[in-house]
Amino acid sequence: MDDTTLRVLATIVPLAPLAAFAINVFFGRWRLQHLTGLIASAALAISALAATGILLGTLGRHDAAIVMLYRWIGVGTFQIDVSFQIDQLSTLMMLVVTWISFLIHVYSMGYMHDDHGYWRFFSWLPLFVFFMLVLVMADNYLLMFVGWEGVGLCSYLLIGFWFEKPAPQAAANKAFWMNRIGDWGFMVGVILIFLTFGSLAFRDVFAKVGIAQSELLTAICLFLFLGATGKSAQIPLYTWLPDAMEGPTPVSALIHAATMVTAGVYMTARSTPLFAEAGPALLVVAVIGTATAVLAATIALVQTDIKRVMAYSTVSQLGYMFLGVGVGAPIAAMFHLATHAFFKALLFLGSGSVIHALGGQQDMRHMGGLKPKLPITYWTMLIGGLALAAIPPLAGFWSKDEIVNSAFFRGQGYEWFWAIGVTTGALTAFYTMRMLWLTFHGAPRDRHLYEHAHESPRVMTTPLIALAVGAALAGLVLGWPPDAGWVHQYLGPLFERAEAIDYSRIAVLATISAVAGVLGLGLAWLTYARRRPDPERVARTFAPLYTLLVNKWYLDAFYDHNVAGAFRWLFGASWAFDLAFIDGFVNKLAAGFQIGGRNLRRLQTGIVGNYALTIVLGLLFVGAAYAYLRLRQ
Amino acid sequence: MDFIAPLIFVILAAIVVAGGLAVVLLPRITGSALSMGLSFLGMAGLFALLGAETIAFFQVLIYVGAITVLILYGVMLTGVAPAGADRRLFFQKQAGWALVPLKFVGVVATVFALSFQSNVVQQPGGDLEPLANAVFRDYAFPFEVASVLLLAAMIGAIALVKRGDD
Amino acid sequence: MLSVPLGWFIAVSSALFFIGAAGVLVRRNAVVILMCVELMLNAANLALVAFSRRLSDATPRGSVFVIFTFVIAAAEVAVGLAIVLAAYRNQPTVEVDEIHELKG
Repeated sequence: MDDTTLRVLATIVPLAPLAAFAINVFFGRWRLQHLTGLIASAALAISALAATGILLGTLGRHDAAIVMLYRWIGVGTFQIDVSFQIDQLSTLMMLVVTWISFLIHVYSMGYMHDDHGYWRFFSWLPLFVFFMLVLVMADNYLLMFVGWEGVGLCSYLLIGFWFEKPAPQAAANKAFWMNRIGDWGFMVGVILIFLTFGSLAFRDVFAKVGIAQSELLTAICLFLFLGATGKSAQIPLYTWLPDAMEGPTPVSALIHAATMVTAGVYMTARSTPLFAEAGPALLVVAVIGTATAVLAATIALVQTDIKRVMAYSTVSQLGYMFLGVGVGAPIAAMFHLATHAFFKALLFLGSGSVIHALGGQQDMRHMGGLKPKLPITYWTMLIGGLALAAIPPLAGFWSKDEIVNSAFFRGQGYEWFWAIGVTTGALTAFYTMRMLWLTFHGAPRDRHLYEHAHESPRVMTTPLIALAVGAALAGLVLGWPPDAGWVHQYLGPLFERAEAIDYSRIAVLATISAVAGVLGLGLAWLTYARRRPDPERVARTFAPLYTLLVNKWYLDAFYDHNVAGAFRWLFGASWAFDLAFIDGFVNKLAAGFQIGGRNLRRLQTGIVGNYALTIVLGLLFVGAAYAYLRLRQ
Repeated sequence: MDFIAPLIFVILAAIVVAGGLAVVLLPRITGSALSMGLSFLGMAGLFALLGAETIAFFQVLIYVGAITVLILYGVMLTGVAPAGADRRLFFQKQAGWALVPLKFVGVVATVFALSFQSNVVQQPGGDLEPLANAVFRDYAFPFEVASVLLLAAMIGAIALVKRGDD
Repeated sequence: MLSVPLGWFIAVSSALFFIGAAGVLVRRNAVVILMCVELMLNAANLALVAFSRRLSDATPRGSVFVIFTFVIAAAEVAVGLAIVLAAYRNQPTVEVDEIHELKG
């Protein structure tokens, strides 16, 4: 592909959604109304096709192509361009983002059909896609930060989409605040990068990575990772994501499962050259990722809201991805990112379909027995669920396995990460099965809702089927054979990886994790289908543990009482300081001016002649001064 | 021939200065206005003497024609006020008269001290062409801006004198 | 060829300028003050043209300046008279001493 074609395609990819946003936000409300959905979907289709064109056009190419649009900032040596880095990593992300977004846009045309904010929804959603594409295509940290903040803004707007209700407002604010903390970290990291390397472009920074001191590099990476924990909902900043489920379900699927929350993983993978040299930073990433994976999975076990189960599951899966980056397997992490985008988007859209069918009911305690009513939803969600539970040969199995296996092969105590990862896999299978069973099987627990349930329209089920195909096959297509599949060869030139692949050991490890998955499924089936053991009795027997999980390890409460409380005290104190000192000073100053003004006003006689005389006196003075200076020479 | 130009200069300068003094000193405002026109006319002569025929032409057109007439209209509209009692504050009048000759002497002294005594050179062919070239080529943009200024002044003048309801 | 020294023109210019300045200071009638301002502008014009002839560049910059001064003068007298008329309508006097609403 020649440079001009690449340039045109790389410009179309982000600009198509931006154009859709511009059209819809200006004309949507009064003129276009329900046309906005079509416009946005068409723009996304164009964008997705252009991204595919870039993939096909750059397949044989190993170096990154830089598409510079214009110089954004040029102050001395500080030069920032608006330019895109088209390499394997960004192309993969572009594909995932555009295609999943396209399917979700189509789905939303059905899901949001009766909402009075239809045009608003189809304005923010393409805007989000635009910022997400800027984030993944940027060739420097500052442009990436622009996308980073932009997706945060759109996330805020879309979580609070139903802003008439208090809960979405609160959730949107929480998401925004939590993300601010992370963004602060990212910003500090970016500033440190500039101070250290004198540039923000990826290729410059990574080329000069050797000149930084090790401690400084560690600090940079930890700050960047703090940003990633905010955006990708990791400990300690993960609590906003479950609350973000207050937004419309397609938003949860697109932003809070498939794309935006993976930005942190992408950024960490993109910064691998920094992290690799940064001493303990990668270990921190791995530990945080693993801890988040376990914590979120345990909380997901006891949630009753179908979307919150999915939310905690997302947090947990993101933890896996960070584990992958942390143990030095960014390819596996990106692979899991791609497959997860498929099956998690599918699960969210499926649960959206269920919620749609039940007229807004999200509580699984009111569901049950919906399988005959919602056959397409059921079968597609089953595929998605099994993919999430990492049952071979579905997508999740290959990618997740590769992450935990990478930990195992690393050795040196990293086997513990593998063990925790596999255990968490069993937990994942358990809560997935629990969710599927409570929703679709058993006797209907709410007769009224059950009677009125109906399968979703074609516009919603078609994306479900498309995503189900992806969730079923993506792992095999992209990742077979293990460690040498298409995705590995494609991303291979970007990352270092182990040369030798030990298939016999992989087979053993894969069997272990598959058995763990099946075990989790089976246990959940026994518990919820056969009631042996009876779930209520289990809850009573392990009452302290159950309470701990239901209260989400008390972390939300801890943040509310201690952290937020401390800040409230701080704010109160600064307010008092403001009143006493800053306002006091300003008031005194103002009083001084008042007295001065009262006396000086006598100079204003109101007689024009006096003013003219003053001017002439000034002229005289200047003339005299000039003559004096000239004559003195 | 050498004495003719200085002679013309002296006559024109006398007209200009006398006209200016009359503007300030004549008690009746209509007298002031007419003396101002006379002074402007003399100034046009001085411009011509300098070889700036175009400027002289504009001087007659704009100052002697337009501005003098405009001022006369202003006099007409505000009425000819009788000379009232002098009620200036802060010795305004005395200060004014005292300062001006002082300053005048200072400037003339400075001018001659700086030796501006070389003669003014007159170029053949008039000044219309170089002036037109300068205004419409080198200073085309300021020229356009000046037209905007005139438009603004026009609108401003109308807005200022417009009565509330007509 | 003229044989009038440049300094003479400057002397006339400054004489006229200070006559105008004196008028602004001592006269009380707003219209007369406007006339005096016009005299001062004219004096400045004379100096500009005189210097311009003296320098005798290809581009007569001083004369161009004078053109712009004409524009300014026209605008100034139009707006100035409008202000005088507006003030006169508000309070029927043109004596600037009697208009001192802005006294501090």
